[in-house]
Amino acid sequence: MSELQKYVDLTVEVITSDGRVIVGTFKGFDQTTNVILSSCHERVFSETEGVETLPLGLYIIRGDNIVLIGEIDLERDASVDLSEIRAAPITDITRR
Amino acid sequence: MLPLSLLNIAQGHPMLVELKNGETFNGHLVNCDNWMNLTLREVIQTSPEGDRFWRLPECYIRGNTIKYLRVPDEIIEMVKDDAVRQRQQAPVSSSRGHGSSRGRGGGGGSGRGKSTKKR
Repeated sequence: MSELQKYVDLTVEVITSDGRVIVGTFKGFDQTTNVILSSCHERVFSETEGVETLPLGLYIIRGDNIVLIGEIDLERDASVDLSEIRAAPITDITRR
Repeated sequence: MLPLSLLNIAQGHPMLVELKNGETFNGHLVNCDNWMNLTLREVIQTSPEGDRFWRLPECYIRGNTIKYLRVPDEIIEMVKDDAVRQRQQAPVSSSRGHGSSRGRGGGGGSGRGKSTKKR
C-alpha cells in the first residue's frame, strides 16, 4: 500500500469500473483505496471526435470502483494533442 | 490526507454523491462515519437517466452504495488548517483516526500504540 504513497501530490490517472478516465492531483488514500483527487477532470474518448475534457473539481472516489491508478508524466502528457486522439471508450467492467 | 478525514471536515457543506447505480444526491452533509455512511439534508435526488427528480428533506446513504463524492474545492484548504491545528493541540496523542489501537505490548515499551499514518 505504501506504493500509493509515492504518488501523493503527483498528477495521476484513475480508471473506474464504469470505464471513466479521471485525471487529477492525488491528495490521499486509505486502506480500502478510497482516493482523493483535487482539481480533477474527466477525459472522454471517442472514435469519431477528439478527447473531451470535463472539469470536475475535488473528488473522493470510493475504492470499490477503482480499477487502476497511474502516474502521469506531465511532459509527455503535455506533448499530446488531445484533439487528434481517436479511441474507443473503455466499457463498464461489470457488463459482459 | 485520508479520504474519510476530508469527508469529516466537509460536514455542513454541500456535496454531490453519485451511487453505483447512477443516481445522484445533491445536499448538505450532516454526518458521516467510518464506513462512509452519510446523512444529507435538503437533498435533490436525480434518477440515473437524469430525467426524474425528487426533493428529500433528509436522507441516509449507506456507504457501500457510493461510487464517488464531489465536494467543494475549498475543503482541501480547510484540511490543511485542521491538520496544523491538531498537531499543535495534541503533539503526543496517538489515537487519532480509525484503525489505530492502544495496545499494551509485552516489552516495557511506551505503550502508546501504533503511530498514525503519514498524511
